[in-house]
Amino acid sequence: MSALHAEWTKAWTVPGTAWLLAGVVTLTPLLGVLAASSMAEGGDPARTSLLGVTLGQAAVVGLAVATVSGEYGTGMIRTTLTAVPRRLAVLRAKAFLVCMLTVAGGTAAVGASVAAGDALLPEGLSIAQGPVLRAAVGSVLYLALVGLLGVGVAALVRDAATAVGLVLGLLFLTPIVASLVSDPDWRERLLEWSPMTAGLAVQATVDLGSQPIGPWQGLGVLAAWASAALLAGAAALRLRDAS
Amino acid sequence: MEATIEVVGVRKRFGGTTALDGMSFTVTPGQVTGFVGPNGAGKSTTMRVILDLDSADAGHAHVGGRPYRELRRPLEHVGSLLDAGALQPSRSARNHLRWLAHSQGLPASRVEEVIHLTGIASAARRRAGGFSLGMRQRLGIAAALLGDPPVLMLDEPFNGMDPEGIVWMRTFLRQKAAEGRAVLVSSHLMSELQDTADHLLVVGRGRVIADTSVAALIAAASGDRVCLRTTARTPAMTVLAAAGATVAATGADSLTVSGLAAAGVVAALNANDVPFTEVSPHRASLEEAYMELTREAVEFRAAGS
Repeated sequence: MSALHAEWTKAWTVPGTAWLLAGVVTLTPLLGVLAASSMAEGGDPARTSLLGVTLGQAAVVGLAVATVSGEYGTGMIRTTLTAVPRRLAVLRAKAFLVCMLTVAGGTAAVGASVAAGDALLPEGLSIAQGPVLRAAVGSVLYLALVGLLGVGVAALVRDAATAVGLVLGLLFLTPIVASLVSDPDWRERLLEWSPMTAGLAVQATVDLGSQPIGPWQGLGVLAAWASAALLAGAAALRLRDAS
Repeated sequence: MEATIEVVGVRKRFGGTTALDGMSFTVTPGQVTGFVGPNGAGKSTTMRVILDLDSADAGHAHVGGRPYRELRRPLEHVGSLLDAGALQPSRSARNHLRWLAHSQGLPASRVEEVIHLTGIASAARRRAGGFSLGMRQRLGIAAALLGDPPVLMLDEPFNGMDPEGIVWMRTFLRQKAAEGRAVLVSSHLMSELQDTADHLLVVGRGRVIADTSVAALIAAASGDRVCLRTTARTPAMTVLAAAGATVAATGADSLTVSGLAAAGVVAALNANDVPFTEVSPHRASLEEAYMELTREAVEFRAAGS
């Protein structure tokens, strides 16, 4: 608990945390508003309103990477590991902190996006509908998992620029790479295993059959990526010299 | 179990370079132990191994009888300052100490105490990144004192300090040792430790070359030489050489005599009516003793390899 308390204090005594959280909370609904106000008939209203998650996740990645890599950039990690020599406790505390902050910021961002969608879309958007609620809750979980992916990758590679590049590349480039693959089976498979495409399947509320993967299975794929990254990060933190 | 630092046969390689080559020593409570050696001798690496920041390839390091990693509230066992710059520059000094206190379950009041103990109260609200190196050293000392630990370990704490800061640091180290704490202080400059350390660990190339008290080291380097001050330098040299001593001129009116005790020197000069103003045992400076020791070690190694 004291390791988490320390991480909490650290988070609120640098300006970056508040700015990045503000980024999640503002960027997400902003893009949703733009999408919802220009949406053509026949689209997926939940998905359109929640389109901003694709932008908000970049701020989440920034927050997650800053929490870990920020300490390697300054040498602060040595002070952290001197205060808490159980290294896995440090990683656990950082992962939990990023989760808490992202769920809080993500809930506000997704709530605002749904409210904007309800106001702007001709047919409205009600959180009371099961699929819409699933899309909203799933989007918050999606952001939290992206945060954990960021923490794991940052613990593995340490350098902030490398970590941000890897995570954003993994999220945004795999769907592009998939679209370039001519073989339809492989394209399908790449989309199923792309953390962003699969993870955001949780936002689909119409025509689920046309999605590459089911909503919860898709979020499961992202969870698998995040778990693998955290495991690799934990091993690196445990085995390598501090810095 | 008395709270000390115990290092036993630690080896550490970085790639092809041997940093520690069987480093072994124990730090005793109640005194300041100087950890000296040229840059690259392995002082900092040893301290990092003690704190479990670097893992040892062989051997072990214990604090209070246990590996550092097993300490639940480590800052209550050992306070350390390895790198005063190892902090987030945009965080204020007080907030830096606050998160450290929270990591150990220590109350916020303790933060205010160490801020006042180290004299950084007027700067506590400022960004730590804007501090001078001397101020950062004081902030690092404040962090080391948070848990009121029985063991202190400081790497080059005099670096970047102004003369006032150096005096403060010396007094501080002496005081902590007088309170019964074990204090390990590294420096690449022997002169910094001359009036501070009681005991010395001299290191070279990753191992301890000498583990000795400061008094014994100086006595060994001083030998049985005698300093003589006289206006009649040439007659004095003749008389003393005849008495069987080896004489070296060290200045216009001073000589260093070896092979004859002070009483013998006085007797020989009086018997021959050679005037002199002062006879005293030669006292080597710690710096001289250190140079002699490390030179021998280097020669021994050159011959042995």
